[in-house]
Order: sequence, then structure tokens, then C-alpha cells
Amino acid sequence: MAVADHPTPRSERSVLHRLYSAYGQEIVIVLALVVLFFVVGLINPRFLSPSNLNTIFSGNAYIAVAAIGMAMIIITGHIDVSVGALIGVLATISGTLAVAGYPVWVAWTVPVLVGMGVNALIGVMVAYARIPSIVVTLGMLSILRGGLISVTGGAWISGLPPEFLIAQAKPFGVPAPIYFMVILTLAAAFWMRYSEFGRSLYAIGGNAEAARASGIPIERRTVMVFMIHGAFAGLATLLFATQLQIIQSTVPPNLELTVITAAVIGGVSILGGTGTVVGSTLAAILFAAIGSALIFTNVSAYWLRAVIGVLILVTVLADMIRRRRQGRA
Amino acid sequence: MPATTEPPSTAKPFVRLTGASKSFNGITVLKGVDFDVRPGEVHALLGENGAGKSTLIKIISGLYAPDGGTIEVRGETVSFSSTRDASRRGIATVYQELLLFPELTVAENIFLGNYPKTGWGGIDWDTVRARSRELLDSLDSAEMDIDAKVASLSVAQRQRVEIAKALSRNAKVLIMDEPTASLAEADVQRLMDVVRALRARGVAIIYVSHRMPEIFALSDRVTVLRDGALIGTREIGEVTEASLVAMMVGRSIDQLFPKPEPIIGDVLLEVENLRCGKLVRGLTFSVRRGEILGIAGLVGSGRTETALTLFGITPAEAGTIRIDGKTVTIRSPKEARDLGIAYVPEDRGSQGLVKAMSIRQNVSMATIDKLSNGLFIRFADEAARALEAVKRFGIRARGGIEQPVGQLSGGNQQKVVIAKWLETVPRILILDEPTRGVDVGAKSEIHAIMGELARTGVAIIMISSELPEVLGMSDRVLVMNNGQLVTILDREDANAESVGAAMTVSKTRKDAA
Amino acid sequence: MKKFLRHETILAVLAIAVLCVLAYQSDRFFTVDNLLNQGRLMTEVGLVAILMTFVIATGGIDLSVGSIIGLTAILTGVFWQSVGLPLPLAALAAIACGTLGGFANGIIITRFGVPPLIATLATLALYRGLAEGISQARSVRGYPEWFYVLGQGNVLGVPTQLWLLILTAIAAAIVLGLTRWGRTVYAIGNNEVAARFSGLPVDRAKVAIYTMSGFAAAVAGVILVSRVSTTRSDMGTGLELDAITAVVLGGTSIFGGRGTIAGTVLGLIIIQALKNGLSLAGVKGDGTIVLIGVVLVATLLISNIVHRNGNR
Repeated sequence: MAVADHPTPRSERSVLHRLYSAYGQEIVIVLALVVLFFVVGLINPRFLSPSNLNTIFSGNAYIAVAAIGMAMIIITGHIDVSVGALIGVLATISGTLAVAGYPVWVAWTVPVLVGMGVNALIGVMVAYARIPSIVVTLGMLSILRGGLISVTGGAWISGLPPEFLIAQAKPFGVPAPIYFMVILTLAAAFWMRYSEFGRSLYAIGGNAEAARASGIPIERRTVMVFMIHGAFAGLATLLFATQLQIIQSTVPPNLELTVITAAVIGGVSILGGTGTVVGSTLAAILFAAIGSALIFTNVSAYWLRAVIGVLILVTVLADMIRRRRQGRA
Repeated sequence: MPATTEPPSTAKPFVRLTGASKSFNGITVLKGVDFDVRPGEVHALLGENGAGKSTLIKIISGLYAPDGGTIEVRGETVSFSSTRDASRRGIATVYQELLLFPELTVAENIFLGNYPKTGWGGIDWDTVRARSRELLDSLDSAEMDIDAKVASLSVAQRQRVEIAKALSRNAKVLIMDEPTASLAEADVQRLMDVVRALRARGVAIIYVSHRMPEIFALSDRVTVLRDGALIGTREIGEVTEASLVAMMVGRSIDQLFPKPEPIIGDVLLEVENLRCGKLVRGLTFSVRRGEILGIAGLVGSGRTETALTLFGITPAEAGTIRIDGKTVTIRSPKEARDLGIAYVPEDRGSQGLVKAMSIRQNVSMATIDKLSNGLFIRFADEAARALEAVKRFGIRARGGIEQPVGQLSGGNQQKVVIAKWLETVPRILILDEPTRGVDVGAKSEIHAIMGELARTGVAIIMISSELPEVLGMSDRVLVMNNGQLVTILDREDANAESVGAAMTVSKTRKDAA
Repeated sequence: MKKFLRHETILAVLAIAVLCVLAYQSDRFFTVDNLLNQGRLMTEVGLVAILMTFVIATGGIDLSVGSIIGLTAILTGVFWQSVGLPLPLAALAAIACGTLGGFANGIIITRFGVPPLIATLATLALYRGLAEGISQARSVRGYPEWFYVLGQGNVLGVPTQLWLLILTAIAAAIVLGLTRWGRTVYAIGNNEVAARFSGLPVDRAKVAIYTMSGFAAAVAGVILVSRVSTTRSDMGTGLELDAITAVVLGGTSIFGGRGTIAGTVLGLIIIQALKNGLSLAGVKGDGTIVLIGVVLVATLLISNIVHRNGNR
């Protein structure tokens, strides 16, 4: 072969460098977490008490689980602003079933199935009717939020059977939500990395036209990824609804925003086509830790949202500047 | 990889097209063309813009189904319903607009949609990386990092990723559509080495290019198309540059471009050492009143970039622009317009027109501030001007001036863009590919408008990839290569040979020497 | 071509039908008092929706308006009570801050190329966060009596703020329909590149539009304070959705390039009438949100289907 006349040295990068270029954002978040725990722990050692760590990790695991599905949606180039309302609806469904005396596994499974069903509908409207996901999910947000309050009238559900409260279980002394969070994150990360389906989501979000030319059935995949996202919303609901002895008919305000933010700060590019679910989980933990840190350092927790707003803005601007530089290279 | 080194002339064709035809909306773009390519040969495909090259390529790559004729692969008649079908038969295309995923790694791009799997069904990343490394090494790209994101690569490197992708699918036929159009000289040499290596491996290569030196350096056979018809297929030894140009053009230039006697006045626009980015590197030239200055050059030589700089889309980074002897700065299209510069862009659909809006609204778009008194648009004036433009340029629209321009034919759309800019009463008119995708009738109408405008004292800069148009319309021809000016030829000295030679001269080498 | 099938025409018929049904259903609906009161209630969303029409017509979106309302409301209270400015000055200063928020949106979108959806999603969190942080969950009450004229009083028998809404709607309709700025908006929404290549001031227009959107939200914030006599940091939460719904329902394409103020106003009327009518008919307040969601999605589905058939 007449190709030997360019004796350029092979430049294989080190494993470390490769890790950094692929998981830069995740590493940054882990470092931020370590620094945060160290500094706040010094200021106020109670921050590192088991009960507080439990609150941070276990109490917010549901956000991390919902953010996994959201990360997949954004990687595919879409968005879902209705997930918070959906979690509220699914929690009420689940609690109602549990109180009505259905077997616990029914109360656990039905929300996941309903979540998949609702999102299948969203996916169909996005993929086949070509309505932008932001509009479909805005509409869905109204429907779900209004529907929930008008059906429940704002009443709380109490008298939940103890065996229903899965989030309060502590196998081997570790709260169950942490198992959920870790296992689901790793499973999803593995699936996004090693399955053809997972990779096709990156392809669709990165360059839909090229994805179509590569023979990826974009419409079907879009519906599927919304359904998977719905399933994660269902699983998140289980953790959310079983934290306390009661189920409120309201979810934390702007829950969908927290979930989207976790995905974006976790390194999922707002323009689609890149990011990992490990990052979104780490970012969800980071938020919880920041919120808790504000309290333990005597800063008012009312600043939390502003801090998060700044974080999103910085992340997004950094992403845009990075893209611009790459485009110029 | 072992090479099947049968001599190309005796090898059986891998792909053979017989009597391929295709038409769109009743316009025939390919008329009964025969074409074949054999393993281990480079078959060059030549023709002017609109000659049918890209249609032919798209038929072979499965993007279009031909209206008539047959496709055979290894002697077996096939019909492709998608590019997937063609790719399964071993036909791959390296597109001009590269179909890669910028945020994914080089290795993943090569194997996307075709991943090697491990025993349990997951993607085998070790194999993906190892085989990507092998493929790129075999393409003389040992320095490329397989873990880098494609977004960080140069155009030349992305092209090699595309080639590696094709090879990963065992492509037997590789279609390369103007692969060197946007490459720097050094990268062109490298690409040519890669193409030679592929040929030695027995890959059949269909090579579309305008650059004559490459064609003579690489190809075994050459096929020329003109106006959708096959003009001929020749062994490379049988042809010369001149005979190929004659086959491509095939008609007398003077007949086609009736140019009125110009009335050339004083110097209007002077450009000195203009610089912007990588493709406008120190240009100096001037244009006089009433003169048509043609700019010739290959795609990627910096012609359009020069126009965009003069028009303020990408403002100049250095250099001086003088109009009527006064130094000016141009930082936005609006400033350019106020200085009397108009630009009819290359891409009519995305840059020239707002297709959903009406003829009236498009014609007034560049002058809408002048058509307003204080607050309101003078709608009656606007309509009257649009009506006048429709009459003056013979814009054919069934719905009158309220018809959305998206519904007009290419020629009429182009006339709307020109009308829009003539509303600004420009003194300097820059036309970028003014007759691309325009039918013959509208083409000569547009040429007549240009001649008429020049006679009223407008300085015209015309960028065109069609050599006959440049030669036929220009008073002087400026030739660019790689962002720099090669030469400016007077009308008498400009001909296909002199301009063609200047276009393809290797400027970088001269500089280096 | 299909002038009669224009979205606004359909919408007007729909609006009349809704009004008729509601009037038939409840004799309390079609009274002057009730209608004027509904006008009062819809002003804040209305002001925001009218400017949102410009934003969406350029192909953008502004999710931060609800948060700007909250921030302006809080700042009005803080500037007045804590800083000690005279109330008119405090309100003006707060409006200036809200407007600045809109300007910041415009800069982030045009200078850094951040998609409007994401840029304003980020500032939604940021502005609401500032409101929460500044207020520390304390509300400000006890405004002087004259201040309530804006939100609770009448001028010539019509709610004060309704005059403002009507004037804004007329001015906006004129700008969008009859001036070169309106033409620029449509050109950007249809083909931003061609608009730029035609010498239109694309970036400047976008910054101006997001700034005006912030301004409208800020004014709505002050009106809201005056109407409900108090400030809280959660004021205006979710209002962006109501505004977007009205705009999209009113026929403005979410992809940009198409839309009118008349359509938006009709959309607003339909939504407000439905809310009011349903509550008069005994449906609890939140049930009406469901209907709005359904109407939004259904309208888009139908218009997409009609549009696609029309194109082929």
C-alpha cells in the first residue's frame, strides 16, 4: 500500500485523558460534591451526620430517577415540562389503589404503566403529528395538574398500608431509594452505552437527518424513548409517594424544572446528542446537597433556586461557547 | 487486505447503469445515460452544474429511483428503494455535506448503525475502537484520535472518517462527490494518496470533481454529461484538458451571452488587502462604474466569502474598502446597503427569499424602512413598486404580487431577489451564482438585466461556477484560489484555458517554493 | 386562497359559540359586572400574551415572564418598604429591573446563541430564585389606598387595567400589522437568515422584543400587586403557560412567522370565558386548567393536520 509516506507518530491518548474528554462534566460534579461536603462539613460537622446524608441522598433519589428519563429525552433532542405534574398524578393513583386495598404490587406497578401510557401519547403527538415537544408537554402539564386538583380537591391520602411504603425500607441499613437510584442509574447508563437503541438516541439528537440516512426509525424511537421516560417517572413516583405516611396532592413546585436542570447540569447538552445519565444523577445529588448546605451554613434556603438558576445559566453558556470553539476548530 | 489486481480495463463492471432517466416535475434531468464502474478503477464524472451528475450519483446510491433504465450490480439487475439497499450491495457515498454526528467520537461514527456485538448482544466497544484504529491507519490517518469528537475535526479529517465508515461496511463502490471542493492543497494530496490506495485494494471509485489536475492524476476513465445526456466515456489517455472542456461546454459561448457594449467609467469600488477568516486572505482589486467583474474560482476558493465580507455579513478583519475614493467600514448588511452595495446571495432558498411571504413583501424587504413614513408602511406604494418590478422583470406569478414566492419557479424566484435589491438602487451589485438552477429562458433574461444595469453605470461583481457565463458576461475576470487572488484577466485574454489554469494553479506550492 | 378558513375566523366563531353557551347556561355570566370583572382578571396574562405574540412570531419563546412578574412584585414591595423609596418611584424601579431581566434574555439569546427555550428556562429559575431570596418568604402589605386604583379601581366605569390592556392590544396590533417592525418580526420568524441578508436588524429586533416582553411582565407584576393588595414571591407562577396557550390558541405558529394580535386577543377571551363559565357552572377552579390543556393540544393537532393537507 502506498500510504507509508506520512510517518506521523500515532497519538493514542492516555486512559485518563480519554476518561476526562468523555466524562468531563461528571468529574467536575463529583469534584464539586467532594469540595462541598468537605467545606460545609468543616463549617458545620452536623452536615455530615448520617441523618442529614440520608435526607440528601435518599430524600432526593426520586428526582435523580426522574432525571434519568429526562436525560434520555433531552439527548434525543426533546423536552418534557409535564413530568412534575405526571409524578403528582401517579402518586395519587398509587396511593388511592393502596388505600383501596389492592395488593401492594398493583399499587406499585400501575403508576409505571400509566406513566408509560401518558408518555406514549405525548410521543405519538411529537413524532407523528410533529407538534414540538415543548407545546405538547405544556398542554399535558395543564391537563395533569388541573385534573389532579379537580379530582382530589386537594385532599391528602392517608392510612397507607405500611408494606406499601417502600421508600422507608432499609435493607442492610441503607434506605431503599438509594438502591433504586444507584441501580437504575447504572442500568440506564449501561443501556445507553451498550445497546444499539441507546446509541441511536444520541444519533437522533445529534443529527436527525444523518440518523434517518443511517436507517434509524426516528418516529418509533421517539415514541419509545418517551415511554421509557414515562416508566422512570413511574418509578420516581414510587420513591416520592412512599416517603411519608401521607400523599399530598401537590408535588414540590417546579419539580419538572428541577428534573430538567439536573439533566442539563449533568452534562446533557441542551441541543441534544450528548450527555450521560450518570451526570444527571450526580447533578440531582448536587442540588440536594447545595440546598442542605445552605441550611447548615445559615444561608437562607430561599436562595436555593437563584443558585440553581445561576448554575444552569453558567452551564448552558459554557456549552454554547464550547460548541462555538469546536465549530471554529 | 489483499488487492484484487485485475487490470481495470478487462475487469467486469461492478455497477452498470443502462439507459438511466429521471425527471422532476416534467423536467428531464437525466436522459438515457449509460454508465459503469469496475473494481479497482477511478471513474471520473464531469459536467457543468445542472448537467445531471448529482442525479446520476443519487440513483446509484439509492436515493432516487430512476424513471427508466436498469441498474445492475455484479451483473444482477437490482432496484434500490433506499440508501440502505445500496449500502447492503456494497455501494457507499461520501457526501459533500457530511452526514456525521458531531458530538459522537470518531470510532462511534465509523460504526454507527453497524456495531460489532459481544456475545451477550451489547455493543463491543473494544472491537469498535480497535477496528476504527485499523481502518484509519489503513487510510494513512494514524495521527487521528479515534476517541475525539467529530466536532473537533477538520473537514479533511471528517472526510476520512466518512471513508472509513464506508470501508467498515465493506464498500465495493465508493462515490466521492467533489471530495476536494473544500480542502486545502496539502489535504488534497493526502486524499489523492488515499484514493490510490483504495483503488489498489480493488475498490471501484466514482469521482466527481471540477479540478482537472486531479482528474488526470487519478482517474482511469472519464465520463462527461451535459444537459442530462451522456456526451461520452473515454480512457484518460485519449483526452486532454481542452477536449474535456469542449465536451463539457459543447456550445459557442458568444451565441449564448449577447453582451451589450459596455460604457465603463471611473473606479467606484477599491478593495485593498481585504482579509476575513481563512478564505479571504489579502485581496486587492477594484471595479469601475458600468463594468462587470466576473469572479471565477473553485468551490471553496473564497469567492462567496469575499462577497459576504464586502456585504457586511462577516465584516472584514483587516484591509481597506474605498467607495468613490472614500474609505468606508461595513459591519452589517444594512451599512452595506446604505453605501449602495447590494448582494444577491448564492442560496436563494435560505438566504435570498422568505418563501412563505408574498412577492410584494419580498420585493420591499430591503427597503422597508424607506417605504415607511414615520410609523406606517406605505402599503399602496409598496404594492405599486412590487407591481412595477413584476412588469419590469417579467416575473410570472398566477396570484399576482400577493403570491407567496415559494410557489414560483426558480427563475422567477431569482428575479424577485434581484428586484428586491434593485429597489435599493445600488451602485455596486454583487451577484453570487445568479443563474444557478434557473431555466434557459430566465437565464438569458437575467443576463439581459445585468447588461442593462451595467450600462446605467452600476458596477457589477458576478460570482459564477459556470465558466461560459463568466467568460460571456465579464469585462474582466478575477480568478481566486485558496482565498487569494491569482490573476485578473481582461476580456480578450480570458478563455477557458487561461481561466481554468488559473483556477487550479497550486498557490500554496508556489508560496512554499 | 382560503381566506375564509383563516384561523382567526374560526376562532371568532368559536368565541361567540362559547359565549352563547355560557350565557345560556348561567344568567350570571352575561352581565356587565361579570364581563368587566373577567376583563380585570385577564389583564396580567393579556399584557404578557400580547408581547409573547411577538416573541413566538419570531420563532422564539419566553418562559421567564411568570418569574419576572414575581420578581417585579417583590421588588416593588422591597423598594417601597425596605429601601424607603416613594411608592411610584419604587414601582418604576421595579419595572425597570423586570425590563432589564427581559433585556438579559435577549442578550443571552442573540449574543451567545442559546436557544430561547433554554435561555428563558434558566432565567425562569434565576428570576424566581431572586424573588424568593430577596423576599425570604415575607410578604409586603399595607399599600396606600390610591395604589389600588390601578388594580381594583375603575376609570369611566371600566377597570383601570382593562384600559391599559385595550390600548396595548391596539398599539401592538398596529405595530405588528402595519409597521416595518412587524414586517421584520414575520421575516425573522419565517427565515432568519434571509432577513439578515436583506439588511433587516435581526439581533436588534430580537433584543427589543425580549426586552419588551420583560417590560410587559413587569407592568403586569405591579398591576397584580395592586389587584391582590399584597406581594408574594410566588406571584405569577405558571402564568407563562397561560400566556403561551393564549398565543398558540390564537393561531400564532410555534415555529414562528405567522400570527396576529387579534388572534391572541380572541384566544385570551376564549380561555377567560371558559374559566369563568365553568366556575359559574360549578366546576372547581382547577378543572378549567384541564380544559385549557385539551384546547391547546387539540387546536395544534387540528391546525397541523389542516396545514399539512393545505400544503399538499
